[in-house]
Amino acid sequence: MQSLTQNLSFLSPLFSQVSESPEPKKIQLKSSFFKNPIFFTSHKSVHSPDKPISTEVFPKNPIFFTSLKCYHNPDKPISRNSSVSCITAHETPLQPLTMPEKVHCLACEFKSLPEPIDRVKRLLHYATLLPPFDESGRVEENRVKGCTTMVWLEVEMDSNRLMRYKVDSDSEITKGFCSCLIWLFDGAMPEEVLSVKTDDLAEMNVGMPSKGHSRVNTWHNILISIQKKTKNFVEVKDKDRSLTEFPPLVGSTDGFSVYGNYKEAQYMQESRQAGNEVEGPT
Amino acid sequence: MMMASTTVESAFLKIPSFGFVNPNNATSKLVSRSSVSLRFGFHFRSCATSSASAAEPASASSPSSVVNDGAKLGPGSLGHITRPDFPILHQAVNGSKLVYLDNAATSQKPTAVLEAIQNYYESYNSNVHRGIHYLSARATDEFELARQKVANFINASESREIVFTRNATEAINLVAYSWGLTNLRPEDEIVLTIAEHHSNIVPWQLVAQKTGANLKFLELTEDEVPDVGKLKEMLSKKTKLVAVHHVSNMLASVLPIEEIASWAHDVGAKVLVDACQSVPHMVVDVKKLGLDFLVASSHKMCGPTGIGLLYGKSELLNAMPPFLGGGEMIADVFLDHSTYAEPPSRFEAGTPAIAEAIGLGATIDYLSGIGMERIHDYEVELANYLYNSLRSVPNIRIYGPEPSRVFKRAALCSFNVEDVHPTDVATFLDQQHGVAVRSGHHCAQPLHRYLGINASARASLHFYNTKEDVDDFIRALTDTISFFTSFK
Repeated sequence: MQSLTQNLSFLSPLFSQVSESPEPKKIQLKSSFFKNPIFFTSHKSVHSPDKPISTEVFPKNPIFFTSLKCYHNPDKPISRNSSVSCITAHETPLQPLTMPEKVHCLACEFKSLPEPIDRVKRLLHYATLLPPFDESGRVEENRVKGCTTMVWLEVEMDSNRLMRYKVDSDSEITKGFCSCLIWLFDGAMPEEVLSVKTDDLAEMNVGMPSKGHSRVNTWHNILISIQKKTKNFVEVKDKDRSLTEFPPLVGSTDGFSVYGNYKEAQYMQESRQAGNEVEGPT
Repeated sequence: MMMASTTVESAFLKIPSFGFVNPNNATSKLVSRSSVSLRFGFHFRSCATSSASAAEPASASSPSSVVNDGAKLGPGSLGHITRPDFPILHQAVNGSKLVYLDNAATSQKPTAVLEAIQNYYESYNSNVHRGIHYLSARATDEFELARQKVANFINASESREIVFTRNATEAINLVAYSWGLTNLRPEDEIVLTIAEHHSNIVPWQLVAQKTGANLKFLELTEDEVPDVGKLKEMLSKKTKLVAVHHVSNMLASVLPIEEIASWAHDVGAKVLVDACQSVPHMVVDVKKLGLDFLVASSHKMCGPTGIGLLYGKSELLNAMPPFLGGGEMIADVFLDHSTYAEPPSRFEAGTPAIAEAIGLGATIDYLSGIGMERIHDYEVELANYLYNSLRSVPNIRIYGPEPSRVFKRAALCSFNVEDVHPTDVATFLDQQHGVAVRSGHHCAQPLHRYLGINASARASLHFYNTKEDVDDFIRALTDTISFFTSFK
């Protein structure tokens, strides 16, 4: 992960001091920064049918949001009623938000928007922050089924056993949903991903039924897809891990070679039945 | 991603919120209930009415004034006059006046229908066909009267040719499983079009799998209508059933059913028509069209959800085995076998949707009070206005035929906006302007695939819509396109 200084350096004119400590989450920001609402809010300009809305007021650098928002003061609990509770600047060490805290932040943010149309516009803004999706990933096996819009989802697990996601859609509003979900889940542990419930994100709904499965509940479908694929990864990895981590205990009829625990024995029996050569550990 | 709650906001200019609109407001001042009636052609069929089901539009019982036929969409149009009968239309959605343009999905219900249902539950709710007490007798009478009204409405020979189902989908499944499993053999053919609703495709796929029959699909012409010319060539001695829509819920095209039925019968095939998008909007005469089966849904014709109808010729229904088993559809039940009732009871297992059937009867009274020809004439005008208005919006692609002397369009338009997903369009129309349209594949995925698109938006009208609804929709759509264009 980039250092916080690198992430925030483009904002140097606004900073009185940005420092990096050995526990690299200590920042000080110029007070005027927080008084400038642009970087924290959506700006709804006057829109008339004759005058297209300006979108330049929406900051487009995702790194700023990604870095700043993930930290909070562990001594200062997040207030459910405070819409700014998830972003603080202080002098004490910061810690990454937990998954429940991130979900809460996201829900709070959307809940704080006074009009349903504001959620639409917020989602459209977040759609612009979604990383590009390789055209080669737009294949049938990556499609999220059951959506009225087209959604493609790629799931991977990195070497640190953290989940990595790439997603795209042909609908801008859906891309906005995807962007929010990626912010939640990309780089998270599988267990964290699986812990999120659809009800937790009901506040994100834009004019759609808040509960229950529906073709138009796209984000619901994407969330379920993310969790299903994550679960598959976990099961495969667990299976592989169990074959390598446990010492052989079961004797075979082929001699004195012994093989792993029950799971390993089961796997090996299945493989033999399939006609594959199975080599037990020596 | 977290934003502070204090925002620098400016109000987006929007249509002023009307809040709850009084049905007697300025819009309908010209056509208040007490002052206007219409130069309607009352096209009552000989359906009896009862105190429970008197459902003429309030406006129709008022003193006469002349409707200017030359300006059918102007003040005093059918839409303006009937709107007060539909309480749901007079509300604000997301701060804007509701503009309901999703009638192909489901229609709104007039007060007369709502009152009929409420009256049933308040006055004589009881199970039908079973009890001998007063309430049961009255409920049975009203239930069977509703059946008779439906029969009259589509000019069936007798009420026994009308089977009440849950909806048109169930009606098609009934024919598929009851008639289809009995009559279809391997290599037999069922002819459909690629523009069919899923409800008129999937049941046939299921039955074809079981029987070994084959499905053949008629494609579209360059005008985006089913190629009726090729349909005749597709028919052969192998064809056992032609199952087609009357009016397409996406293309708005109208098939020449009378011709199609004639060709089908020439080769010995039966004809089933999905009339969901036609029965609510025009005169449908099953005898004139020469149909063997017809299905329709109450909820698309200003009636309640939960009830649909299957019309079947008597001789066909008499020969069909039961679909669902249980009470009501039997004659005698023994431990090892049962005998079955005559149609329509044979196909109505269990307690029926009694209130809904009575509501459907009230609906037919209401529609008949206006006149289906009157409704159709008005909607043709509105359809043309919608099409021409939508066509004037830049970067719009409308699907289906261009209206002409040859091609008549129903009052709906499926469309796409260049570079803007239809779901995004529909969401913004709803959230910013209170305009209700549909987005998706409209239960016509094969048709969308054929047209090379994943989804489309659809605006669909009914007789209670007005020219102003269309104008509001076009304004809102223009604003929506402007928003997404500038956003990108």
